[in-house]
Amino acid sequence: MRVLIQLRPATDVVASVLDPRVASTVADVVSDLPGVSLDAAFGPVAVPRARPSAAHGGALSLSPRVEFSLSPEHASVLVRGEIPDAELSTRLSRLQSAVPEVTGIFADPFIQPSGPTCGGDGPVGDWHDVRRLLHASELWEEGHDGEGVAVAVCDTGINAAHVRSALGEDVEVDAGRSWAPPGVPKRPGAYPVNHGTMCAFDVLLAAPKATLLDIPILLSQQGSVQGLLSDAVAAYSHLRGVLNAMSEEHRALVVSNSWGLFSPLGDLPPGHPGNYSDNPSHPFNLIVGSLADAGADVVFAAGNCGRDCPDQRCGFRERPIVGANGHPDVLSVGGVDTRRERVGYSSQGPARLADRKPDLCSYTHFAGSGAVGEADTGTSAACPTAAGVVAAVRTRRTAVQLSPEQLRTQLNRTADDRSTVGYDYDYGWGIIDPPAVLAALGRARGERAA
Amino acid sequence: MVLLQVHLPPGATLSEALRSLGLSEEDVDLGYGLVAVLPEAGLYVLRVTEEAGRRADGQVFADPPIEPG
Repeated sequence: MRVLIQLRPATDVVASVLDPRVASTVADVVSDLPGVSLDAAFGPVAVPRARPSAAHGGALSLSPRVEFSLSPEHASVLVRGEIPDAELSTRLSRLQSAVPEVTGIFADPFIQPSGPTCGGDGPVGDWHDVRRLLHASELWEEGHDGEGVAVAVCDTGINAAHVRSALGEDVEVDAGRSWAPPGVPKRPGAYPVNHGTMCAFDVLLAAPKATLLDIPILLSQQGSVQGLLSDAVAAYSHLRGVLNAMSEEHRALVVSNSWGLFSPLGDLPPGHPGNYSDNPSHPFNLIVGSLADAGADVVFAAGNCGRDCPDQRCGFRERPIVGANGHPDVLSVGGVDTRRERVGYSSQGPARLADRKPDLCSYTHFAGSGAVGEADTGTSAACPTAAGVVAAVRTRRTAVQLSPEQLRTQLNRTADDRSTVGYDYDYGWGIIDPPAVLAALGRARGERAA
Repeated sequence: MVLLQVHLPPGATLSEALRSLGLSEEDVDLGYGLVAVLPEAGLYVLRVTEEAGRRADGQVFADPPIEPG
């Protein structure tokens, strides 16, 4: 247990601690405290003495005021240390009697920022924590490692060498089934390290043997604009061909989408027949539904426009989960950090195309790929970590055996509920829980067999 | 450019689409081509100039920029 120890050393020692010109150390205050591992990096801190103020009544006053004195004769000094948990009660009882300078021993609990994790905050945990929270090793032991499952990463392209180096594991990119928009050189797995590389890394946390399809839709350039929705339409048309080419006994395609529309400025207004954000008849929303109906698990980031600390690009004042990011046939993914708390920027529902979005949350804001900075952040990271879980489940269940809709239902039903009981617009159905979904699917399979 | 959605016979090609819609090669993004949305239903899209979108027999949709996130 970490503790703060209050000492009253000699007056000249307290005077040194109080003197801002002197850099006092723990060793200046106390040479040794039996059974306590003192923290030498923590400089001693002077603490004033509180005593009843004589000007406001005596010691028997019912409402005494106190005054504080930092004079060397009155002040005490705090140092920091650790006592082994097994010895705690013995040490606490003996320390004060064995060392006369010790006047108090107090708990030094772990403290956290009071608000949710936001965009500018440093990483919370690392990718090993994410694997632990996803129970990845248990999934792999049962053969759910993504082998034979294609995961299309629709993003800025993948740099497989970077992913391989950061993960320390082999990475498979299927060049033949990858695709690039017109004008973008087709270099599957060899694009500059960027956002798409982060997404690929995060997919492999749960499904290390998945086969990646590199779909760099966000590299398309039309004048000054990089990435248009029409590029996503073309990419999905290609993926429909990929899916149709799979035999029924091997039909397993997961499509990870960590992108979206941030501003209504490039769209036609809601109510206009050509609108995208609110219109299920837009060609992209049609093709998303068609690809899911054909057997693809389509996973979308919910977006980074949460009320606590939205991304500065967010232009939708209400219902920021727009278009396909909240399509009824996709798994819409919000973000939690490795403390299992919703990150403040994770977009809240309801979505514009469906009420109960996001579906669930997955992990983000952890030290991971190193592709885009210190942390893999945003629902951009939560989406591929969830897509990896979907790919892991798919290893032993094709889309013919378990439809995308059935799998999405099971993921939602088995998510670890957070916040209010049942569904809520912050966490959806809860945090993705891979062992629980596999257990539920195992029960369903057993029941059918019986 | 805008996204033009059109109905064409299943298996249609870009040149057939241009002929059927009364459009020229200058009106469309040839690199993008003719993209099948629901091929079994004969539903396709093209990227065309705004002027061609107004002229052609089809439904014009927004083609907004998309970003990582």
